[in-house]
Amino acid sequence: MSSTPREESSAIRLSTQFGEFEAAASHIITFPEGLPGFERCLRFVVLRHAGPSPLVCLHAVDGPTASFLAIDPRRVLRRYQCAVSDAVRLRLGAGPNAFLLWLTIITIANDDELFVNLRAPVVINPDRLLGLQVMPHDALYPLHYRLELDALARTGTDGA
Amino acid sequence: MPVVGLVVHGAALVLVVTRRKDEAIVIGEGIEIRVVRIGRDEVRLGITAPVEVAVHRREVYEEIRRENEAASAILADPRRVNRSSP
Repeated sequence: MSSTPREESSAIRLSTQFGEFEAAASHIITFPEGLPGFERCLRFVVLRHAGPSPLVCLHAVDGPTASFLAIDPRRVLRRYQCAVSDAVRLRLGAGPNAFLLWLTIITIANDDELFVNLRAPVVINPDRLLGLQVMPHDALYPLHYRLELDALARTGTDGA
Repeated sequence: MPVVGLVVHGAALVLVVTRRKDEAIVIGEGIEIRVVRIGRDEVRLGITAPVEVAVHRREVYEEIRRENEAASAILADPRRVNRSSP
C-alpha cells in the first residue's frame, strides 16, 4: 500500500484499502508530531463512506503506510466530554469557539467485536487543517471501549 | 551544574546530572525542567516549554503507540477490510 505524492499537482493520489482516491490540498490535515508510533506520518486525510456508516478512515498521505478506522467518540458514548486544554487549542490554532473534529481510533477488531481507544482521541481543527492525538495522563476514558454495534446502527446518519 | 556522566547513545548524548530541590536544567531554547519536590521514591518536576512542544509521560506515550500500531494492523490485513470497512 503506497500513496504517491505528486509535487506538480495540488491533488494527491492515494491508493488505499478502499480504492484509489484523489485528495485535494484543502483536505490534507497536518499532524506536526505525527501520531505515536507513526511519527513520520505528518499529513493525513479523513476518508468518509458515502453511505450511512459512521466509521471513517484516517489515512496517512506520506511517511510509512498508516491507515486507521475511526469514529466520532460521541457516536460511541453520547456524553463523551469533548474538551481540550488551552495548550492543545493553541497547538491546533483554534480559538475558544472553534469547531473541532473528534475521532477515536478503532484499535481491536475481532470477528464480532470492535474496541475503540476513547482515552487518546484525535482532534482536528478543520479551519487550520491541523491535527494531533490528545494523550491525557488523567485517564478519563478507557483505552479499550467496546463498540456497541447495534446501538451504532440505530444512530446511523440516515437511519439505515 | 555538576556533570556526573556523559554517555554517547546512538546519535544522542546521555547526560546524567545531580539536581537539588528548586534547581533546574535547561534544554535547548525555552525548555526548563525544575525539581519542585523530592519524595522518597518520586520527584515532582515542573516543566516549562513552548506551547508547540508536546510533553508526555513516557509510559502514556508508549501505551498509545502500542494501541496505534495495533489499530493500523487492522486495515493492513486485507482479509479484514470487508468486515470492518467504513
